[in-house]
Amino acid sequence: MNGDIQLVGSFVTDGACAEAIEALHHAKIVSFRTFSPFPSEKIAEAVDEVRGWGRSPVRKFVMAGGFTGALTGLVVTVGTSWEWNINTGGRPIASITPYVVIIFELMILFGVLGAVSSFFFKSGLPAFEQSSGYRTRFGADRFGLVVQAAEGDAAKIEALMRDAGAEEVVREAA
Amino acid sequence: MAAAVEPSNIQLSYLDVDRTAQRVMAPAGLKYWLWVAFCAFLVALGGAFWTRQIYEGLGVTGYGQPTLWAVYITDFVFWVGIAHSGTLISAVLFLFRTRWRTAVYRCAETMTIFAVVTAGLFPIVHLGRPWFFYWLCPYPNERFLQPDFRSPLTWDFFAISTYLTTSTLFLSVGLIPDIANMRDISIGWRKKFYTILSCGWQGTDSQWRNFSMAYLLLAGFATPLVLSVHSVVSWDFATMQTPGMHSTIFAPYFVCGAIFSGCAMVLTLLLPMRKWLQIEDLVTVWHLDNLAKVILFTSLVMTYSYGTEAFVVWYTQDPIEIMTFTQRFFGLQGYLAIGMILCNCVIPLILFSPRARSNTVILFIISIFVNIGMWLERFVLIAGSLATAQMPSQWKFYVPKLTEVLITVGSFGWFLMNFSIFTKFLPIVSMTELKEGITWLRKAGRERHPYRKAA
Amino acid sequence: MSANHQPASLGAAAVRPFGQPQPLNWGRFSSIAVGLVIAGIVGVAGGLLTGNPQRVWLTWLVDLLFFMGIAQGGVVCSAAFYLTQGRWAGSVHYRMAEAWWRFVPLAFVLFAGVFIGRDFIFPWIAHPSVKQAVWLNVPFLFARDYLALGIMALVSWWFVSLSQTAEATVWHHEPMTIGLPPKGIRRLAPALCILYAITYTLFAYDLISSLSPRWHSTLFGWWYFATVFWSNIVAMNFAVSRLVGRLPPGNRFTQRTVRHDFGKMIFAFSIFWMYLTFAQYIVIWYGDLPAETFFVIARCWHHPWMLLTWLAPLCIWVIPFFTLLSVRSKTSPTVICIVALLGLFGVWDLNYILIVPSLSPNHLPLGWIEVLITAGFLGAFMLCAAPGLKLVAETAATDVEGGE
Repeated sequence: MNGDIQLVGSFVTDGACAEAIEALHHAKIVSFRTFSPFPSEKIAEAVDEVRGWGRSPVRKFVMAGGFTGALTGLVVTVGTSWEWNINTGGRPIASITPYVVIIFELMILFGVLGAVSSFFFKSGLPAFEQSSGYRTRFGADRFGLVVQAAEGDAAKIEALMRDAGAEEVVREAA
Repeated sequence: MAAAVEPSNIQLSYLDVDRTAQRVMAPAGLKYWLWVAFCAFLVALGGAFWTRQIYEGLGVTGYGQPTLWAVYITDFVFWVGIAHSGTLISAVLFLFRTRWRTAVYRCAETMTIFAVVTAGLFPIVHLGRPWFFYWLCPYPNERFLQPDFRSPLTWDFFAISTYLTTSTLFLSVGLIPDIANMRDISIGWRKKFYTILSCGWQGTDSQWRNFSMAYLLLAGFATPLVLSVHSVVSWDFATMQTPGMHSTIFAPYFVCGAIFSGCAMVLTLLLPMRKWLQIEDLVTVWHLDNLAKVILFTSLVMTYSYGTEAFVVWYTQDPIEIMTFTQRFFGLQGYLAIGMILCNCVIPLILFSPRARSNTVILFIISIFVNIGMWLERFVLIAGSLATAQMPSQWKFYVPKLTEVLITVGSFGWFLMNFSIFTKFLPIVSMTELKEGITWLRKAGRERHPYRKAA
Repeated sequence: MSANHQPASLGAAAVRPFGQPQPLNWGRFSSIAVGLVIAGIVGVAGGLLTGNPQRVWLTWLVDLLFFMGIAQGGVVCSAAFYLTQGRWAGSVHYRMAEAWWRFVPLAFVLFAGVFIGRDFIFPWIAHPSVKQAVWLNVPFLFARDYLALGIMALVSWWFVSLSQTAEATVWHHEPMTIGLPPKGIRRLAPALCILYAITYTLFAYDLISSLSPRWHSTLFGWWYFATVFWSNIVAMNFAVSRLVGRLPPGNRFTQRTVRHDFGKMIFAFSIFWMYLTFAQYIVIWYGDLPAETFFVIARCWHHPWMLLTWLAPLCIWVIPFFTLLSVRSKTSPTVICIVALLGLFGVWDLNYILIVPSLSPNHLPLGWIEVLITAGFLGAFMLCAAPGLKLVAETAATDVEGGE
């Protein structure tokens, strides 16, 4: 990140935090991260605007997982039936109708595993170190905005954050 | 108006949510441990009788031709059913963007996990050699045998294990932000415990972005899954040709019954908890009222299903079906079926009254009746249908013996013990979602009751 | 069109439907509808004169059930919005669902056709099934079905008039409260849904299943009213996709989230339909009892019905499911228009396939008689829907605030 200090602003409402992000974006400052106690739509929208993120890549992993699962189900059921082709009740050796159930369950199972593993992987979890600027209140009742900046810009950024309604802004070494 | 003397929920803040959750999880007193010990005693009792059953064989139970499925399978279906409302409330209502789910869904989800774990035990209890249950799993083996994928029992294995995995992951993912919050506000060994479980969650924007997408997709998967799981359970019976069981309506009707009994169980657990843990601010009358409506709705669907079944039996004039039907309601054990109709179709009609829906005592009593009724329903369907199948010369009614009864009682102990322990170590209400929907919580507290105009 | 309305670029041309409203021409809409009705009358008369009464009355039944289903499904859908407190598009989605309710009372009148053609529809009149005669006899069947139709017409009328009061409209626009809908609706909406489930189960057994009196399936009623409910959802989506470009810019349907929510309904209930279909199929497949399988085998595996039968799940589940997986296609009016049209065809086809093979097992009667009569019903349906659609157009153009 560019800069040698960071400013930690804390906000009482998510709206104020989102406003601060917009103000920073307006001032061409985009090197920041936010912390919030719950997924705030307002903050997400503001951040998306700055970073140009689309929807989370998690869904691609889920699609891939679901597809793999369905295929596994098909191969396992049909494959083992062909391998051991015993006639039960005059049914076809590979009777797709009941196999749909197995295929479906495995599709769900693999899709879910895809969702959870990609969520962990893409969110950088498990994380063994706390990222700097995190405060315990950001998990409880405050919204945090941590901005990396050069020493000279600090005053301007602090003013922007306070204008947007920051409760407090703390400077610390990055 | 009563709302005036109600506590501080009008100004409920984010920190109030944290404080309440912390208070719930504060170190427990003697009463709590006595309760857990009592549950553990029930588990031990059930365990002892199971041990005896393994040693002596299934002959110690009341099982015998033609009723080779009875209480254990009833318990299995009952507990799987209980599990379903958790997924309904957490996933289906999430997709519907229903607001009242926030306060009750964690409780329901937790219930799901422990109910599935309990349910999963019963097919194993029912096995003569329970240590071979893993033979249902398809894997390359020295016997060169694979499970028959056409068998509904194999479907069960896949459905239940997928369900357990999915609901555990769904619960865990939802818990991570809450655990991170607990990590930040606790001390001592609990801090270490939560630090490990929270996986280093900090709630950054990119984490929340992936979290929201993963959660949405998990809900999207859990919804068809919940339909499929109980459908698969129903097909254990419906695919047979046994009269009284072979019926196409079974799948959706079992799913509905599962949600019905599950929501009743949520009420049974939530109402005392709400009082003893003093979380009336978080779980308001508004939440209970909506839960009661779900119970009423599913009860009506149950009535519809019973009605259709009876109608089709009469419409086709099939003599065997008519005989089974008559035996079910007017035979030796007819009182069970009559009781089932009373508990599942008649008593829940009280919930049409808004006043009943907001009275915790009435709700609690109804929820108990529904639990009993749904257990009876499975018993009547399984043991009753098998007892009076096509050949009257083989008819024999089943009466449970002490072993089944005590193992069933033990399963309740097992479920309640696990649930009680969970409430002390992990947050039983979702702090994250309550904060997200805090405006709704404030409205529910202030307006108090959806039928009255705001004060 | 004057020169200054020419789009400046290809991109501008692509968004033109939003930029330049093509005003709705209700006169033309009504004249087309009247033309279709005349075609239908010609079809009925022609069919009877050429000695094809069975084809005429079977098609009459198929079309009556199809269009009545859409109309009734709409009213029930509106009730379901109230019960689930769906307030995501102001009053617009309520008006949309109620748009065609006027066909419900008309269906009461048109049901006379089923009575007139009863000898060609119900095989148990000529060959009574002795054991089932208590239920399957002409006086009782028509008495109960007429009663059911009458009740549904009255309750639907009452419900729609309650839903269009100012009080209800105010409630539509308060998504941020926990208050419940006005008292009358609160009472009537559940009653309407219960009545719907009962009457449509009755119609499923009386008017479809009883054409093969030996056949039975307990899920059939439930499965049928779920299909009917879905047919209204696709009809609503079709209307939305056609209206969005024809209304003034900035109307409610141009809001992406609103179209997304409408599209999601097709997707979700299509999956539910497939689930119910499979649940019914697998039990019959597994049980393998002749009394149950003959109905399914004739339709799924025998010529000439097989192709038409498999078209139904293709149009009702396969195409909607795989097409509407992404958000982009759920919100695209073009995609929705095509999917909804195919879906409507699928449901019509399903009605046809459920009814006709029972009477004509080896011969597929599909020709000018069927086409003309269906056109006639479509015309009548359009005439009934016109006032409702006008109200939708008006509401969508003006009611653009509120909702989530």
